[in-house]
Amino acid sequence: MSIIYVLIPIAIIIVALALVIFFWAVKTNQFEDLDRQGYSILFDDDLSGDEKKLAEQRKQLQQRKETDDRD
Amino acid sequence: MSENLCYHCALPNDATHKYEAVILGETRQLCCPGCQAVAQAIVDNGLEDYYQFRTEPAQKSDDGILESLSALNVYDDPALQEEFVFDEGQHKQIQLTLEGITCAACGWLIEKQLSKVSGIAQVAVNVQERRALITWEPDVIKLSQILTTLKRIGYVGSPFHPDEHEASYKREQKSFIKKLGLAGIMTMQVMMLMAGLYFDWFGAIEQETRQYFYWVALTLTTPVVLYSGSAFYLGALKAISAKTVNMDVPVTLAVFGTYFAGLRSTLLEQGEVYFESICMFIFLLLLSRFLEHRSRHRAAQISANMMQYIPVSAAKIEGDGSIVQILAKQLAPNDVVLVKPGETIPVDGIVLDGTAAVDESMLTGEFNPVSKSASHVVYGGTVNQDGTLTVKVTQSLKHALVNQIVRLQASAMASKPKAAQIADNFSRYFVFSVLLISALTYSYWSFVGSEDAFWITISVLVATCPCALGLATPSALTCAMAKLNRQGILLKRADALEQLNDIDTIALDKTGTLTEGKFSLQQRWFAKGVDPVQVMALTTLLESRSEHPIARAFDNDNVKSKHRTLPNTMNGFTVTPGGGISGEIDNVVFTMGSAVFCNLSTTSKVDIPANVFLCADGVLMAAFCVNDSLRQDALATLTALNEHQLVVLSGDTQKNVDALTASLPINLAKGGLSPEQKYSQVHTLQKQGRKVMMMGDGINDAPVLASADVAVAVGNATDVAKTAADVILLGDSLLSVPTLFSVAKQAKRKIQQNIAWSVGYNIIILPFAVSGLLSPWMAVVGMSLSSIIVVTNSTRLLSK
Repeated sequence: MSIIYVLIPIAIIIVALALVIFFWAVKTNQFEDLDRQGYSILFDDDLSGDEKKLAEQRKQLQQRKETDDRD
Repeated sequence: MSENLCYHCALPNDATHKYEAVILGETRQLCCPGCQAVAQAIVDNGLEDYYQFRTEPAQKSDDGILESLSALNVYDDPALQEEFVFDEGQHKQIQLTLEGITCAACGWLIEKQLSKVSGIAQVAVNVQERRALITWEPDVIKLSQILTTLKRIGYVGSPFHPDEHEASYKREQKSFIKKLGLAGIMTMQVMMLMAGLYFDWFGAIEQETRQYFYWVALTLTTPVVLYSGSAFYLGALKAISAKTVNMDVPVTLAVFGTYFAGLRSTLLEQGEVYFESICMFIFLLLLSRFLEHRSRHRAAQISANMMQYIPVSAAKIEGDGSIVQILAKQLAPNDVVLVKPGETIPVDGIVLDGTAAVDESMLTGEFNPVSKSASHVVYGGTVNQDGTLTVKVTQSLKHALVNQIVRLQASAMASKPKAAQIADNFSRYFVFSVLLISALTYSYWSFVGSEDAFWITISVLVATCPCALGLATPSALTCAMAKLNRQGILLKRADALEQLNDIDTIALDKTGTLTEGKFSLQQRWFAKGVDPVQVMALTTLLESRSEHPIARAFDNDNVKSKHRTLPNTMNGFTVTPGGGISGEIDNVVFTMGSAVFCNLSTTSKVDIPANVFLCADGVLMAAFCVNDSLRQDALATLTALNEHQLVVLSGDTQKNVDALTASLPINLAKGGLSPEQKYSQVHTLQKQGRKVMMMGDGINDAPVLASADVAVAVGNATDVAKTAADVILLGDSLLSVPTLFSVAKQAKRKIQQNIAWSVGYNIIILPFAVSGLLSPWMAVVGMSLSSIIVVTNSTRLLSK
């Protein structure tokens, strides 16, 4: 059990680190707008034109499949 | 369904016109040229994704969206920028409030669109606050161009100055999050350690390990007690120095009592410790404070966003009689400005010409408008309610604006939820009894000689802490407000939600509320020997000074461009609300308005159903039929609201009102009312013991809105109406009103459930605590569970 004498201080250090990061996040306005950023992942901004087209085709395929399933 | 509704804003399409755009590979129908222009701009910029991911339809675009773009040039003025723009090295930065944001996809759309524009260094849109922070290079792009780009995709940005109050709210908000986060993380850690000790049923943990755990827990608890809990100690100190008590006093006693007892036990290596209880206690209390703070912060933010409506520009009359829109800031003493009805007077000055009732309530708190005429002093920030004033500036804006903001803010801020105030009073008595019971408990158990007297007293303090009671109202109101906000209903006062439940009468304005509020010239009639072109030019000139919706019907008529030889000077211009307007041009007195206003005894020679007449020196020159149509959802809305008494109060003639309301389930329809009469109508109803909700949009509704129990400003309402209202409908749909009622009802039920639960719990637990059956950790767990139940119950509002 003496391992806890090492592990718990390490855990405390990690918690302190997490707190520092948390305080930094609050200070740099990361908690200002909780509605918006959750959607960012949905937009295909980072794709190139070709990739976007491909994604579009897949989406349409998917939709067609769904409507077929419903019928 | 999608064929009849605009693809952009989801409002019904115009059947007679066709506006189309190819969006997401399909031809979509749109309702108006404004929406078409915006949708086309979005598509052309390759931002179609917006339509895929938005969760709410966009706001309807202004029809005149492209014409009004040039008005934005005023924002390039360095004098204005000095006020709102910050220099960031070679970049400039501005904070804008944005009108038209409906969902998170809007934020994406704006950021994408702006980041494509060269010269813009950084854009950050905050959807919750409906604001954007924009950094740009002034050498490459002008501020007006940025605003133009925004407007092209359907958003109106206005420079905005975060005020003192909001800045302090924000600081508090941040410190709350930090304290809460620290308390939360530490609670988890301490709980983890202590849970290990709780489950040591067989005594397998050595004394040495136990002691080690206590030391670790003490280390972790100390920052929570010293930092996270500091708000309570300060509150308690403040209360005690003001010779009163509040909830913070027993909280402080319980926290410090438990902490120092734990410290002593740890140092002496004997006795009990309850560090996990302290942490959780502080965490939950902070959570309830945070929720309450947030609901107030939100209301303040909405009011602050409204502040953009303070005009930054003023209509200055030049020496040659022409009117120039300039910045209020540029006005120097002795300049002359024109203030139309409904506009805020830009600066302090002296009236040269015209009479008007001025609402100085933000200044004096007196609700009755003050009548102003020549040589009277008017103040910047007060609102001109009816007449048109020509004002000589006596003071530059520099001083006036500060006062103006402070004044408006002060009146906007005086809206702490009423229920919370009741809780404040209630809590004072509550605290006294808690302290008394604790003291009695302590003396009894010490007298009996129990060793546990201290811990029993702590249990009583913790168990009776009305943490759940404190959460009951704010958590329910916050959830209800969030839900309404999602549906495009803004609440300026949270307690309006509670008052909504008592409403039994709904008074409605006709023009702009039940109807579209857009007048168009249907038919014309001219007296013999009158030049129609000249007459139309005259009407345009006369109506250009009026803010009444009817005036716009004449303004749209594009006679302006054809006829520029008009005299620019008009004297003695007056507006008679509910009547008409009059002014003197080239020594001829023109009156324009209803037949009664124009003193016409007979209108039989007019062969059209005219409602607006133009007279020159009392002789009838022309007559017009100006009409307004009923909103499409008016019938459905009123049917949904028919358990209330429905009253229409209109400034329009009784005949028109009757014609319009004949097909609607209205209990009482009154026409021909002046603003004062509307106000007294509602006042009479209130005297009869009725609770009245008023819905309106116009300047003439402002007094009645301010006096009603709950005031609702319908979409596109005037500044005055929005200032007076408690609830603002963002969308153009009246159907939001039944939603508002049903949410208010749900919220009330939640609050009642929450209060019943938390009070009931406290009463039941008290005997156990006093009798010593409850140890402090049980008290904390019980209190936490009780709070969690209350919050969970409130969040159920969101899902429904």
